[in-house]
Amino acid sequence: MDEFNDNEIARLLRLKRYEQPPPGYFENFLHEFHRRQRNELLRQPLWRICLERAHTFMLGLDARSLTSYPAAVTAVLLCAAVISLKIYQQPETARVALQNPPAISIPANTEGEWNLASPVATQILRTQPVRSFNESAQTHRAAPPRYVLDSVPVSYEPTFRF
Amino acid sequence: MDQPRTDPDQELVKRTQSGDASAFDELVIKYTPRLYGLVYNMTSNHEDTNDLLQDIFAKAYKAIRGFRGKSSFYTWIHSISVNMTLNFLKKRGRRFQLSLDDVDASVHNDKEFLELTATSSPVREADLSELQRRLNEAMMKLSDEHRAVVTMFHIQGMPHAEISKILRVSEGTVRSRLFYANRQLQNYLDEFRKNPVS
Repeated sequence: MDEFNDNEIARLLRLKRYEQPPPGYFENFLHEFHRRQRNELLRQPLWRICLERAHTFMLGLDARSLTSYPAAVTAVLLCAAVISLKIYQQPETARVALQNPPAISIPANTEGEWNLASPVATQILRTQPVRSFNESAQTHRAAPPRYVLDSVPVSYEPTFRF
Repeated sequence: MDQPRTDPDQELVKRTQSGDASAFDELVIKYTPRLYGLVYNMTSNHEDTNDLLQDIFAKAYKAIRGFRGKSSFYTWIHSISVNMTLNFLKKRGRRFQLSLDDVDASVHNDKEFLELTATSSPVREADLSELQRRLNEAMMKLSDEHRAVVTMFHIQGMPHAEISKILRVSEGTVRSRLFYANRQLQNYLDEFRKNPVS
């Protein structure tokens, strides 16, 4: 039978192994490879060499460890955010407490009920000035405006007016 | 049952990964003849094969740090070679000329060649260069994917399992491609049977 069967086709194809490059080709191949590599390196701009090195370095890293890094960084950032919030919130509240509370916390009707335990400075801060600015300006023209009232006694003895 | 085999190139690969370029040179020397055969039989052009082979080893050298050893180096470098050659063939299209290597004279001593010339009249009547030309033309009429399978199985003698790993397709796909390619080759060579000397 003249028709090629599967076996004959396989045999024919195996004969293609005898197609060989010119003698010395394989011996010179490595030299040619080195030469091309050197030429390619010389042709490339510096940024591309750096990029390739970085790419190769990234490829060399273990993928498992690479995935754990973002998780670790996120956890550290979250902890840092929580801690910084706690730290910065504390002084903030303390400062607010010093500035505002006397006016808010002490009711108006307790004005006459001062005692020694009450911080004087606090009371002075919250007290309404007895004289208006204009009045004060009339009596003490040269002096700067004062908010510490003259009418508030240093002692608790009644003052005498004539 | 398949036993996990250690990669015979593991040591050379590790040395290359740690920066020893001479270890990669050894891999180049070891695999050049085999990969040359693979690329040459897919392109049927010596010059293209030479350029492609240079590019293949250059790419492999750049990528070897990322090689984790999940497959053998043999499979890995063959995958690179086949993929790069298929990409090249897509770009080259139909515009090419056969640039065939000489058939080694030792073929005349090959047992299979002797049997073929004794039993098959087309082979007996044609001279060797004509036979080579017809065979290569028939190969080039196959699709690139079919030619890759035929090259690896018939010419390089790789088992189906290895081919399926390299091409990342199932063994069934490899077998069906082989079957189809054989039918195609039979049809193309049928003309040669009818008219052995053209």
